Amino acid sequence: MTILESIGSVRESFRADLDSFPTDQREIDLLRSKYFGRKGLLADLYILLSGLSNKEKPKAGQSINSLKKELQKEFDRKTASIAGPKHVTNDQLLDLSLPGYPITNGSIHPLQQTLDEIKGIFKSVGFKVAYGPEIEDDYHNFEALNIPKHHPARDMQDTFFVEDNVVLRTHTSNVQIHLMEEREPPLRYIVPGRVYRNEAVSYKSYCLFHQIEGLYVDKNVSMGDLKGILEYFVKRFFGESTTMRFRPSFFPFTEPSAEVDIWDEKREKWMEILGCGMVDPNVFDNVGYDSTVWHGYAFGMGIERMAMLKYGIDDIRLFYQNDVRFLEQF
Amino acid sequence: MRVSIPWLKKYINIKQPTAELADMLTMLGLESDAPKKPTFSGIVVGKILKAEKHPNADRLSLCVVTDGKEEYQVVCGAPNVDTEQIVAFAKVGAVLGDDFKITKAKIRGERSYGMICSERELGLSDEHEGIMVLNESAKIGTNFGDYLSSNLHYLEIDLTPNRPDCMSHVGVAREIAVKTGTKINYTPAAERKFKKNEVADILSIKIDDKNCCPRYVAGVVKNITVGPAPDWMRELLESAGQRSINNIVDISNYVLMEMGHPTHIFDYDKIPSQTICIRKAKKGEHVMSLDEEQRKLTDELVITDGKKPIAIAGLMGGLESAVTDKTKNVLIESAYFDPITIRRSAKSLGMSTEASKRFERGADPEGAVNAYWRVVELLEELAGGEWVPGMIDAYPKKIKQKQIILTREKIDILSGCELSDSFVNATLSNLELDIKKDGKNKWICTPPSFRPDLEREVDLIEECCRVYGYDKIHSNFHYAGLYDLAEVDPEDVLSKIVIAMSGLGFRQCYLNSLTDENTAGLLGNNAIPMQNPLSSAMSHLRTSLYPGLLQTVNHNIRNGNANVNLFEIGKEYKTGKKNSEIYHLTGVLHGDWISKSVHNDEQRQTIHSLKGKVEALFNRLKIKNISFSTTEHTHYKYGLSIALGKSVIGHCGKLKQSILNNLDINADEIFGFDIELKSIIDAMKNVVKYSAVSPYPKVGRDMNFVLDKNTKTADISYTVLNAGGQILISVKPVDIFQHKSLGDNKKSVTFHLEFQSAVKTLEEAEINSAMNDITAIISKQFDAKLRD
Repeated sequence: MTILESIGSVRESFRADLDSFPTDQREIDLLRSKYFGRKGLLADLYILLSGLSNKEKPKAGQSINSLKKELQKEFDRKTASIAGPKHVTNDQLLDLSLPGYPITNGSIHPLQQTLDEIKGIFKSVGFKVAYGPEIEDDYHNFEALNIPKHHPARDMQDTFFVEDNVVLRTHTSNVQIHLMEEREPPLRYIVPGRVYRNEAVSYKSYCLFHQIEGLYVDKNVSMGDLKGILEYFVKRFFGESTTMRFRPSFFPFTEPSAEVDIWDEKREKWMEILGCGMVDPNVFDNVGYDSTVWHGYAFGMGIERMAMLKYGIDDIRLFYQNDVRFLEQF
Repeated sequence: MRVSIPWLKKYINIKQPTAELADMLTMLGLESDAPKKPTFSGIVVGKILKAEKHPNADRLSLCVVTDGKEEYQVVCGAPNVDTEQIVAFAKVGAVLGDDFKITKAKIRGERSYGMICSERELGLSDEHEGIMVLNESAKIGTNFGDYLSSNLHYLEIDLTPNRPDCMSHVGVAREIAVKTGTKINYTPAAERKFKKNEVADILSIKIDDKNCCPRYVAGVVKNITVGPAPDWMRELLESAGQRSINNIVDISNYVLMEMGHPTHIFDYDKIPSQTICIRKAKKGEHVMSLDEEQRKLTDELVITDGKKPIAIAGLMGGLESAVTDKTKNVLIESAYFDPITIRRSAKSLGMSTEASKRFERGADPEGAVNAYWRVVELLEELAGGEWVPGMIDAYPKKIKQKQIILTREKIDILSGCELSDSFVNATLSNLELDIKKDGKNKWICTPPSFRPDLEREVDLIEECCRVYGYDKIHSNFHYAGLYDLAEVDPEDVLSKIVIAMSGLGFRQCYLNSLTDENTAGLLGNNAIPMQNPLSSAMSHLRTSLYPGLLQTVNHNIRNGNANVNLFEIGKEYKTGKKNSEIYHLTGVLHGDWISKSVHNDEQRQTIHSLKGKVEALFNRLKIKNISFSTTEHTHYKYGLSIALGKSVIGHCGKLKQSILNNLDINADEIFGFDIELKSIIDAMKNVVKYSAVSPYPKVGRDMNFVLDKNTKTADISYTVLNAGGQILISVKPVDIFQHKSLGDNKKSVTFHLEFQSAVKTLEEAEINSAMNDITAIISKQFDAKLRD
C-alpha cells in the first residue's frame, strides 16, 4: 500500500465514523484518540512518512498535514453540535432575535374544552354530574322516555342496533331514566356523554356526537324556570349580547316542549342549539314518580354544535379527523 | 312540507310578508322557512328572436336574444333552444355561481355576447340537459332574481310528528287564525241526504280487522270524463309543489293538500267483484303498486277485491285498479287506518307516501266522511260525474274523543306565566276544543277529532303556552337555597389527566368508536357488531383505542406533520356475559421528541422517551407505586408492562410493524402506551400527605460499577438504594459505557447517589461507610466491581 493509499483509507474510515458519530462524550473521546491520539491513525501516518525517501517526503507530508487539518475541522464541527449550543453564547455576541428552544406543545381537544366549559357553567348553579351507558336497552333509550315502538318519533333518531332490544343510545336522555329509577326527587343533574345516530356522514352530521342532558325535578318547576336557566347558560357560553329565541317544538319525553335558537350575525339566521321541555308525566309514571306532585324540566344539547358555533367550525368531521393543524388552534 | 301562500289565502286573510308569516308559524311550533330571495346580477329575462344552426358546428345554434332594449348574438349549445322562447339570459359581465364570469367569446368563428342559461348554471337544480324556459308571461328585461321571487309564494314547514292536523292548508290556516284571533273561511263540503243508499246495491265493504281499519267510507261516481284539471287547481297544486296529472288524480291530491285527509280513487269497473275487503296480507301475496313496482307482501294491511290485493292500505293504490284515460266509473275510498299498522307497512315495504305520512301520525276519523263528500263534489264539478246516491260508512270501531280535565293549579305551575281564564277559554275554543268550565278552577275539555295529539292536561297547557307565545314567558332565574354538592363529578379526574397529558406535549384526540371488523379484531377481541351498520367500515365498536390513534398518526404524516404525540381518553367496548364499556388512556408517539433547531439537533422518540413521559404522567398525578417490567406483548416488538402495586394496569412499547402494516400505516417506529383508567382514577382518590423537607445539606456521590453487559440497571439501582440505609435518598444511573477495554460482555455504569439526613448534617465517614456497604453488596450479588 502506498502512502497515498494509506492517507485515502484513513480519510475513508473517518468519513464512516462521521456518519455514525457518537453522542456520548466518552465515545467521542475514544474516537478522538483513534485519530488524533499518540497511537492514533494520524500518528501512524507520520511514522510511515518518516520512512519515505526525501524526494517523496514533502508531497506526502503536505497531504498528511492537510488531512489532519480537514479531520480536525470536521471533528470540531461535529463535537460542537453535540456538546452544546451551536452558536456563540458569549454575552456580547448573543443573538436575542433567535427563536427559543423548540418545546413540544400539547393541546386539549376543542370538544373537551367545550364540555368542560358547559359543565362548569351548570356546576356553578348547583347541577351535579352523572354518566350512563352508551350500550343501552330499548326500554331506557326509548320506551321509558315515552317513545313506544312503531311511533313516528322514532324516525327523529336513526338508531344503531346491537341486538334486537339493545341499541347504541341515540341521546343522553337514557340517563334521565337511570337517575330517576335510582334516586328520589328532587334532582338536579347534567349528563354528558357520547351518542350515536345511524346517519350518513357529511359536513353537518356524524355517526356519533356528544350531548349534555340536563334534568331538574322538584315540586314547583315551570317553563319560566327552564327559560331562565337556558338564558343564563346561553349568555355565559356565547356572550352577554347573544340573542336567544325560545320556541315551541315536540319531543316525546317533554310536554310542553321547546327549542332554543340563537341569532347568528354572520349567517343572518337563527341557529338551533338545543331541545328542551317540561318532563312528560308519562316519563314520571314510568319511573314511579308521582306526576301530580313532581314537575321538572329537561334539556339536551350537542357539544359539537356548541363548539362549531362558538369557534366558527363548519364541518363536524374535523373533530374526529384530529389533524394537528386543527388541534393546535385550540 | 310545502305550503302555498295563495292557497292559504283562500281561507284566511294574510297581509304580512312571507318571511314574517314564517316567523309567526315558527313561534307557534310549526318551524317554517320562507324561500330566500335569490340574487343574480347581469341576468335578465330575455326572448329568443332567432335560432339557427351554427354555420360551422352541428350541435351549436346561433341565436339572437333581446333584453327588450338591445339585440345580442349568442352561440348556444342546448338542444332545446328555439325561437320565441323566454329565457334566462346572462349578459357579458354577469357572474354565475362563485366565479364563472361571462365574457365576449368567439365560438367556432362566430361571436357570442352572453349565455342562455340552464337551471344548473343558475344554481337552481341539477337540470342541465337544456336551457331553462320561463313562463310566457314573464316580462322581458326584468332582473331574473325578481322574476324568480315573484314565483316564490310558498313556505317550507318542518312539521314535528305530533301535528298531522297541520299537514294541510286548512290546518295551517287554522293555526294562523288562532294566533291572530280570527276565524278561517272554510266550510267542509256539505253532507248530502239520500233517500235510499243506492251505492249499497253495487258495492259491499267488509272489514276483517277492525283494529287496523276502524273506519272505511266509500261510494261511487259514474260517467266521469278524464282530462286535465282546471287551471285554478293545477296552479294551486303546483304552488304547493305537486305535479298535475289529470283531473281525477288531482282531485284526490287536492283534497289531501286542502284538508289533510288521504283518499284513493279506484276504477270501479276494474273491481268486478263489486266488493272491497280490508284484511292483512298473506305471506307470499303480491301487488303491483301505482309506481309500477311489484310489492312482495308479508302481513301489511291491504285492500282486496275479495280475493287478491288491489291496493296497500294507507300507502299506495295498485296499478291494476288505477284510474286511466279510459276510466268511466270510480270508487272513492276515504278511510281511517290505525297509525301503527300503516307505519309498520311503510317500514316493511320501505315506502313513505303523502298518505302514509298522514295516517301514521294519526288521521282524522271524522275527516274520512268530510273528504268523501269533498271528492264527490269535485268529481261532479270537474269531471262531470254522476254521484250514485249514498255512502257506505263501515265504522266497526268507534273512535271517541277523550275528555281532559284542565286545572288552574297545573297551568300555573307548569307555564310559569299568567294565563287568564279568558285567554284559556278563547285559545281552546279557537282550537276547536269543546270546553266546559267546571267550578272555578277546572275545565272539562274535549279535543276535536283532528287533534290526536291532545290527550292529557299537559298537552292543553302546551297549547295555551304556544299560542300565548313562548317569547312572552317570563324567565325565572332564582338560585336561592342550598344544593347538595357532596356528590362530585366522577369524571373530574379525567380533566386532570387531560391537563397533565397536554402539559407533557400530547395532543388530545376524539376518535370514532365505530370501526371495521378487521380493525376491531386486530388489537382486541370480542368486538360488538352492529345489526344495521352504516357501512362495513363502521360495523363494529372498537376494542382498542390504538387503531384510531395510529391512523391519525398516519393522517398527520401524510399532511406534513411527521412529529406527533397523540392521546385519547375513550372507551373500549367488548361483549362477554355483559357488554362492557371501559375507559382507557392511550397515547402514541412518532418522530422527533425534540425537533431540530438552531440550538440543538433533533432527538427521535425512543422507548425511553415514551417511558419518561409515562413516568412523568404518574408523577404529575401523584400516583406512586408504579413499576415497569419487560414483557412479551402481542402489540409490541418490545415493551413493558405497567403495574400499580402488584396489579398490571397497562403496557407500553414499540408497536409491531405487522400491526402498522395491517392498518396501512406508512410509518415505522411508533411507540405507544395503553392504560386502563379505572385503576388510576381510584389511585387518584388518595389524598396527598406532606412529608417534611430536610433542612440539612444534600451530598452527591458517583459510583461506577463494571457489570455484566446483561445486568439490568434497575436491579442495581434498587439494590443500591436498599443497601445504602436511611441516609441514601436517591439513586439514578447517569452514564453507561461499553468498550473492549472493559472486557468482553462488560459495561460500566455510573450511578449518582444523593445522601441526606432529616436530623443532622452528614459526616464524611457516614457516607463512606454507606458506600462501602453498597460496594460490598453489589460486588457479591452481581459479579461487579467498583471502577476507579
